[in-house]
Amino acid sequence: MDDSPPKRYRSDEDHLEDYPPRKRSASRSTSPSNASPQYTLTERPARRHSRAGDSEDDRKYYRDRRGSRSRSRPKSRSRSISRRRSRSPSSTPPPPKPTELHYQPALILGGHKKGVSAVKISPDGRWIASCSADCTIKIWDAQTGKLEHTLEGHLAGISTISWSPDSKIIASGSDDKSIRLWDITTGQPHPTPFIGHHNYVYSLAFSPKGNMLVSGSYDEAVFLWDVRAARVMRSLPAHSDPVGGVDFVRDGTLIVSCANDGLIRVWDTATGQCLRTLVHENNAPVTSVRFSPNGKYVLAWTLDSCIRLWNYIDGKGKCIKTYQGHMNKKYSLGGAFGTYGPPPYQYAFVASGSEDKSIVLWDVSSKNVLQRLEGHTGAVLAVDTHPTEKIIVSGGLDRTVRVWRYNEDASNQPPVAATNGTET
Amino acid sequence: MNLSLVDPFVLAQDCPEVLAGRLRSGHSTSIRFSHRGDLLASGRHDGIIVIFDIETNGVARKLRGHTRQVQSLSWSTNDRYLLSAGQDWKCVLWDLKDGSRVRTVRFEAGIFIAELHPKNHMLFVAALFEDQPVLVDISSDVSVKRALPSAPRRPQIERENASEKQIAQDAKQTSTVTVFSPSGDYIVAGTNKGWLNIIDTETGQVQCSTRLTNNIIVFVRLTPSGRDAVVNSSDRIVRTLHLPDLTDPKLDFETLRVEVEHKFQDVVQRLSWNHVSFSSTGEYVAASTWMNHHIYIWERSQGSLVKILEGTKEELSVIEWHPYRPFVAAVGVDSGRVWLWSILQPQKWSALAPDFVEVEENVEYIEREDEFDIQPIEELHKRRLDQEDEEVDVLTIEPVKATTEFDASEFRMPVLLDIEASDSEDEVVAIGAGQFRRKSPGTGREWMNDDEVVGSGDEARKMAANGATAAQSGTKRRRAG
Repeated sequence: MDDSPPKRYRSDEDHLEDYPPRKRSASRSTSPSNASPQYTLTERPARRHSRAGDSEDDRKYYRDRRGSRSRSRPKSRSRSISRRRSRSPSSTPPPPKPTELHYQPALILGGHKKGVSAVKISPDGRWIASCSADCTIKIWDAQTGKLEHTLEGHLAGISTISWSPDSKIIASGSDDKSIRLWDITTGQPHPTPFIGHHNYVYSLAFSPKGNMLVSGSYDEAVFLWDVRAARVMRSLPAHSDPVGGVDFVRDGTLIVSCANDGLIRVWDTATGQCLRTLVHENNAPVTSVRFSPNGKYVLAWTLDSCIRLWNYIDGKGKCIKTYQGHMNKKYSLGGAFGTYGPPPYQYAFVASGSEDKSIVLWDVSSKNVLQRLEGHTGAVLAVDTHPTEKIIVSGGLDRTVRVWRYNEDASNQPPVAATNGTET
Repeated sequence: MNLSLVDPFVLAQDCPEVLAGRLRSGHSTSIRFSHRGDLLASGRHDGIIVIFDIETNGVARKLRGHTRQVQSLSWSTNDRYLLSAGQDWKCVLWDLKDGSRVRTVRFEAGIFIAELHPKNHMLFVAALFEDQPVLVDISSDVSVKRALPSAPRRPQIERENASEKQIAQDAKQTSTVTVFSPSGDYIVAGTNKGWLNIIDTETGQVQCSTRLTNNIIVFVRLTPSGRDAVVNSSDRIVRTLHLPDLTDPKLDFETLRVEVEHKFQDVVQRLSWNHVSFSSTGEYVAASTWMNHHIYIWERSQGSLVKILEGTKEELSVIEWHPYRPFVAAVGVDSGRVWLWSILQPQKWSALAPDFVEVEENVEYIEREDEFDIQPIEELHKRRLDQEDEEVDVLTIEPVKATTEFDASEFRMPVLLDIEASDSEDEVVAIGAGQFRRKSPGTGREWMNDDEVVGSGDEARKMAANGATAAQSGTKRRRAG
């Protein structure tokens, strides 16, 4: 963490000492180099890619995620599938709910020069994107781990990335206060960056149609952007502290945001009005927030080492689950929902990084820890799950991105270390 | 997903109230909402069609192909194709996936309206100026036009006793508006003598005719159910009609009589109506007024005027009601802007402060028995965690009524990133008071070249050729593919 953590150290005394005061005008004047950023890459002729082909919907994405465990997979994995099938239990009508999971390290992707702040698997499952405090985004092949692109252009560390629903564009939010779109077929940035935030951009999410982008920033604002025009469509008068996380619901009608003031707010996308505010009594700073796959719950990470699942619909909103067992005091950790269990029986788990260098997987309903993935040598800041396959990807302060695959052969084998990782 | 959180009083409102915004791209002359309601197509005075994204109020796509004002627009049911009719006597079918022209069909007369078949986007009906309406089949390489009759079908007795003069007069009638029924089996046509004809799409025969007025029928619009029609005619009366269930196989056209339900008019000011539209459910009728700035909204159960929308300082022409929201768009005649009316949604302040409740009047607070008992924090914490024992399903997606929802398999228009850069308003520059000149003649007008190719040959090939010339001249205006 000494070597410039990609996500801000968020306890209060720290930000008083090290960070520009929260006044927007002041924060501008403190860093003259950032006041008028110059982008070297904007001058390059950006080649357009064709956008043929119907884009995938994220609902389809989750439907596939739920139903297609046994459906066709890429050919390269056929061997493991056949092995997997032969081992599957035969005709035991309701199989017991698994009490533990067996993910194993598959790849270690090195290359980032500083800590990795976010990893995201593309909605079509082909790519892994990771962003880092070293001002770059790297695109990796999700199957082989081959480095496909290194996207350079931001002037400061990158805290967040988000895939467009058609998996062709990545949006990135950086400490240089700008948001950029990247064409992943060419690796080129879109010529017009999204300028408007007065301070570090912390969090981003694409709308399910890809026409809007929501961003949360250290300047306490939540902006809703028109992606086509690269302009702020709506500013949500969100919070009185830096905004840690934002997310879009499945159908794009709601936005959730959270901030260091401990509040989680749910917004109506169409009108920009706050529809619900969720707050836990001890007001721990909320650093990251996510809608559940079906959009009925909100999962929020707080700096009291808890992850809470909120039912935001009923009554005035209620915390219905608290997941504990990881360590989260300093960094804004990220995580994701995943599924497990033999098809068609599907259960959900929550995956999160931890500052004790592990990744923790909990069952959503029972709150039991299903597995702890050890391997990272620093705090794990970001975790994401694959939309269709049993793959988890993580990134952390040890500058690596790690890919974990599910081992169907249960626990009788000792964990095998990375075999074909592209170490650099 | 937001419906469960929105104030039910707001949801209960079904009629727009206040001017909520405007859209601007060139001088708009006709507009149409897509069926899913997320896009608004706007045909411009210069022949360009602009697709607005209603969610962002931004331009989602521009379609270039007409050389004159766009007269009417019609979306295919899956919102992938758009049919436009222009005053350059052409109809163009656009594929919104890549913005290409699927087909261009030329006519020998001006076009009042062109409507796509609801189930087959390669079939459309067009009402022509001083000519018989045509049903155009563009599924094959050569478009097949079939003329439809406009002469009303009179009852048996009248037909036998018809004088030659009447027959001649009937033959002279032309249709001014043609629309498909929701099933596509019938075409409802209005004539310049005030008759409303129901034409069988298959046979092309008039099945049933009703005389509504002596004047020209200007516009007809059906509700999504097809059981109601609103008719605007030049006698300053807006009529609503009950139509029979045209999908009913037992329907007997001989005995069928179409009844006028309401006649909406302003007898005091003698207003005439530019354009009419049904609300999403057909419960309301909205009309823009000639030489006036107002939109009148009547409700149909009582037939009373419920609201006059105002706020603009110009006359409004085409008016469109959103397919499911209380949201009205209308085109300003002078400025060419698209004005939007919607409902006001006041911010509930209690949503911002979770520990407050909005109450109508004072409520006496009754303290709970153990409310202020002091208990160890660990105890409370443990108790709370123990209570979190319910089963949670974060995966199952509940089916929602298909209003805001759309299926993954359905067409979704790609998001274009350089749409703003591709145009802006710089195509004309002001050179004096009220005088405008095209910035650089010919620039960006490569798409006009192939308009001179008559007929409906291989549009795709032309597209490719056009794209090549555009690329050569260095002004890439349209994204091909």
